[in-house]
Amino acid sequence: MQRPAKTVRVGVDIGGTFTDIVAIADDGKFLITKTPSIPEDPAQGVIQGLALLAGMMDVPLKGLLARIELLIHGTTIATNSLAERKGAAVGMITTEGFRDILELREGTKGRRYDLRSEFPQPLVGRPWRREVKERIHWNGEIGLKLDERAVCDELKTLRDQEMEAVVVGFLHSHVNPVHELRVRELIRNLGWDVYIVLSHEILGIEGEYDRFSTAAVNAYVGPKLSGYLLNLERNLRDADALVPLLIMQSTGGLLPVEEASRYSVGCITSGPAGGAIASALFGRLHSRTKIVAYDTGGTTTDISLIDEGIPVERSKTQLEDSKISVPSIDIQVIGLGGGSLARIDAGGILTLGPDSAGAHPGPASYGRGGEQPTLTDANLVLGYLNPDAFLGGRLPLYRDLAHKAILKAIANPLGLSVEDASLAIHTLASSRIAEGIRTATIRRGLDPRDFALISFGGAGGAHADAVSRELSIPLAIVPREAAVFSAFGFLAADVRLDSQRSCGKLLSEISPGDLAQIFSELENKMKERLQAIGFGPDRVRFASFLDCRYLRQVSTIEVSISKKMLAEQDFSVLISAYEAKYRQYYGHTHSNEAPFIESCRVSGYGLVSNVRPPSANNGGTQTSGRPHSFRDRRPVFVGEWVEVPVYWFDDLSSGTELAGLALIESSTTTVMLQPGSQALVDEYGSLQISGVLPL
Amino acid sequence: MTAPFLLRKDVFQQNTPTLDPITLSVVRYKLLAIVEEVVDVMARTCFSPVLNTSRDFSAAILNPESRLIAQAERVPIHMGALPFAVESMISAFAPDIMEGDVLLANDPYWGGSHLPDITLAAPVFYDEEICLWVSIRAHQGDIGGISPGGYSPSAMEIWHEGIRLPPMKFVECGYVRQDVLRMICANSRTPADTHGDLLAQLSSVNQGVKRLVQLFDRYRAAVMQECCDAILSAGERAMRAQIAQWSPGVYEAVSYLDSNPLVDGALPIKVRITLDDRSAEVDFRDCQDQVRSFVNSPLANTVAAVNVAFMYLSESHDAQNDGCARAIHVLTRKGSIVDPIAPAPVAASTTLTASVIIETVMKALEHAAPQHVLAGFARRFRFAISGSDRKNKRFIWHHFANRGGAGAHHRADGWCNLGVMQNPGGSPSQSVERTESAYPFEVERYCLRPDSGGAGRKRGGCGGIYILRYEGQAAATITPTGDGVEVAPYGLAGGGDALANAYHIERAGKIIKLGATEAHMDLMPGDRIICKSAGGGGYGTPTDRSEGEIRRDLEYGYVSVGIAKKVYGYRK
Repeated sequence: MQRPAKTVRVGVDIGGTFTDIVAIADDGKFLITKTPSIPEDPAQGVIQGLALLAGMMDVPLKGLLARIELLIHGTTIATNSLAERKGAAVGMITTEGFRDILELREGTKGRRYDLRSEFPQPLVGRPWRREVKERIHWNGEIGLKLDERAVCDELKTLRDQEMEAVVVGFLHSHVNPVHELRVRELIRNLGWDVYIVLSHEILGIEGEYDRFSTAAVNAYVGPKLSGYLLNLERNLRDADALVPLLIMQSTGGLLPVEEASRYSVGCITSGPAGGAIASALFGRLHSRTKIVAYDTGGTTTDISLIDEGIPVERSKTQLEDSKISVPSIDIQVIGLGGGSLARIDAGGILTLGPDSAGAHPGPASYGRGGEQPTLTDANLVLGYLNPDAFLGGRLPLYRDLAHKAILKAIANPLGLSVEDASLAIHTLASSRIAEGIRTATIRRGLDPRDFALISFGGAGGAHADAVSRELSIPLAIVPREAAVFSAFGFLAADVRLDSQRSCGKLLSEISPGDLAQIFSELENKMKERLQAIGFGPDRVRFASFLDCRYLRQVSTIEVSISKKMLAEQDFSVLISAYEAKYRQYYGHTHSNEAPFIESCRVSGYGLVSNVRPPSANNGGTQTSGRPHSFRDRRPVFVGEWVEVPVYWFDDLSSGTELAGLALIESSTTTVMLQPGSQALVDEYGSLQISGVLPL
Repeated sequence: MTAPFLLRKDVFQQNTPTLDPITLSVVRYKLLAIVEEVVDVMARTCFSPVLNTSRDFSAAILNPESRLIAQAERVPIHMGALPFAVESMISAFAPDIMEGDVLLANDPYWGGSHLPDITLAAPVFYDEEICLWVSIRAHQGDIGGISPGGYSPSAMEIWHEGIRLPPMKFVECGYVRQDVLRMICANSRTPADTHGDLLAQLSSVNQGVKRLVQLFDRYRAAVMQECCDAILSAGERAMRAQIAQWSPGVYEAVSYLDSNPLVDGALPIKVRITLDDRSAEVDFRDCQDQVRSFVNSPLANTVAAVNVAFMYLSESHDAQNDGCARAIHVLTRKGSIVDPIAPAPVAASTTLTASVIIETVMKALEHAAPQHVLAGFARRFRFAISGSDRKNKRFIWHHFANRGGAGAHHRADGWCNLGVMQNPGGSPSQSVERTESAYPFEVERYCLRPDSGGAGRKRGGCGGIYILRYEGQAAATITPTGDGVEVAPYGLAGGGDALANAYHIERAGKIIKLGATEAHMDLMPGDRIICKSAGGGGYGTPTDRSEGEIRRDLEYGYVSVGIAKKVYGYRK
């Protein structure tokens, strides 16, 4: 008998092409669906997706909405407005003499030697960066009082110019924010309803470029994101849903709508974060604490590492010429995807990517006018992709067009058959993914062979086995939820707030008591914020970190610290923790030098969920069936044409064992099992591939 | 065998009797990945905070003839120079080079560039033969000499600049020669840093050797050899194809180094470039004799600077390697400023002189490669201040901010604050807040310098203004090293020159000019150092600049109304 008040949790991930939806009922039953995104009204897309889900559950939309206990949402709105430079008109109020900090960029340039590229204007143009007299010294003393009259004049100018957001960035505001706070009051006194960003609230640490740049990104993407989120909330309310809505962040944590709207820079790279969280979850299920996950999509391969069960983070991100200095999951991006262009370079050697055919015109085989061959075209010619089952049959592929493109651009110039040329492209792709993973691990002093590989994303499956062999990784996992992996990860995430404070002292200059004091203040503030958004003391957890370096260095190392360390009489345990981490990266330590503490950080978690993927015991996942065009054998080219068995992923029950050479196909990806490799369908329905390892 | 089955040789051999394109693409990619890994290991293990921060190191894989196959391009001026260093090391020891040996050198008169750059090279043995070399060059913080850090404007002989290390065995059959290590460290003012950084260089080349041996295991020596040859040929083809896009002819140009206390007047670097449809001859034989000042450029550095110029001139960097050099012939005269003989001092060659050599090549090709040449960049002007901080502890502060503008080119305006031509961009400069919190300074202003970019259809990038007030208790010392105070960044194709570097100290209402290569000067409490960095040169006739762009320049304050009217002919 069915329980009447069955509740569900829903994860919704809006991508450029599709909106992915994952729902878990409280009896453990899973539902997965995909619907085309509606870029002009994404909120409507979410509602339509939920309607589709309601249909699958055989209930009316209202009935579904009434049952949703939690809706977790990831959106690329912030990312896209930054990437496409379609953000808000932003004005800035800053310290006299320093309005060009954003434009001077600390003297750096991405792609340093590409000297004929256009200068990218900062997110806040020079005429809208307004200076006022004020000065706070490095020690927090007020050197020059804020000229409030000038502030008001400049604000009026910005208002007349119809700015949609205002960044306030003063020197040393992380030490003493009084002037930045005062400007906010003055804006409010003017009765100007504008999106306001104070640099010290976005980033409370030393370094004016990092602070101003991060604040500028926040202001640039904020108005659009907050508008969208409020609209979505309204849409849901109109549909009578009183659902708590949580927004996915780049850290893999969640934020309620109001906080997410204010802290919009926090979701700039939230898309791939869901995948990393899901990978960490799968790692836990398989009792593995070290996972390297890669997601090969249309234009890029996103690589993330899970170490000690936790996605590895970074403290800064350089994106589209903007520096963002808030923590995020460290996704390493290589310019390689299904749409990557294959070409013969100026010296006559085959190369692949990073240029991409994108979605328009797309690979030659899309039949949308693309003439340059791509990785997808090569995999199609080789028979690894099913032309009628690509994206669940929604997008037919034209093998003859792929053939023609490769013949002209690659096979003829190299004097190869089209098949051999395609194999070359395919092989180069596997190598590039493998080397990207090797770099991502080795840069952090980790050995790829200690990791298990997780492959998700449309174009990844064809290379998973080859990549793991190349790296001597003994186990590759392709989750059955690969197609909606990010949305699935949303359901495994918790609410997370981050807070930090500059310290700027050598460890030898500070006492354990002082440090404990800083952390307890940070934690108490965080407790209040978590309480305010509905997490009482029994549902919170804290993680504390120090960002340390040696005095004369620039980059810091994160040291995780415990209450116990802070309660010690001296810092010896802390120093060993720092040195152990430093040794992992650099292979040595400077035992005669004290670490310098740049900043103290606390992450506060509001515990939301403890989800598990469906297993054979709880009804499994309900998805779409296999298409009519599916055939259980087809020829593939592996140096010669061989006919191989093809399996439909969703039909494989747990315990099934397969041997290569074989293809395992689903509506979104094809997994290529190499000769000699074994695959086992585990209790969660995932494919576990163990390849032949080199001697 | 580590290959996926797709790479099995028997599969290839069915239809490809010689080298197949799959292996070639994959091997080239892998060589690049390995050499990147070599610098990654260096980045992770280098000891001194200086190297750790500046990342002033580069690595390369070379063939047994010391031709560069793959590079991890960090410091462009290192790359073209490495083959000279490795060749010199090989010639010093061959055939007495054993498996497990690692060679070391820094001597500019043994293939080096300047003394702070110490180069290690390790042979990759396979089947008892040297198949490749892995080399890494790193700029050491101190190697002795008159001035800390190795740049001494007062040096008149190479011996004033630090310890000379002709090729030696740093590792012999797997054993590190502690005597050599001790000797080098004993000649550094920062022995612990030098010790750590040399060992980091060693781990990096060792990692490269290990990975290359695996690559040989997989593809076999003969195939690898063919790949390396093919990669070099590809580099050559790419460069020849690039040169073929330019107009053949004979082109001449001259660019100048500022005068300095040890030489009379500005120093010209002259070049004559002959282009035919597939190669370039770059002739410096008309350059003057070497001078008793640290601006002499050893041959390796001169050739490297020419390579950098051609790299900037190329549309694609895919195929960059030593094969490119087969299409570019550099001619010099022994004993000249661009090919000195011992004991001429050379410390400033990799920075100051390299910039001028690159400029000369660019200027010469103004009409031959109009789509690709770059107008002049701000030249380097740095200074160091040493004194006592607020806690009365000794400090040294380096001014790395305010790098000046980049030159414009056919397609777009130059960037602001990108700095010097031989090494644009680079690591982030220190924040204003950190300068103030950690040192006894207040930064009064850091902003763009209007009108500093050269006028043109495309405008040069703006330089900057940086004003620093010294707030220490006692006198400190300031040591400037730089160039471009007298010589302004050049414009091209009718574009105007930029404003030059202008640095001075303001003391109690008086202005004291800060020359580029003075010896030490005193800095008094309350002194203000006014740093105005050069802009970049302009490209094309200013009156051809679109009205929209001029309006934007005015609105953004890059150009003043006066200049807009006078130089650009703006009429509104």
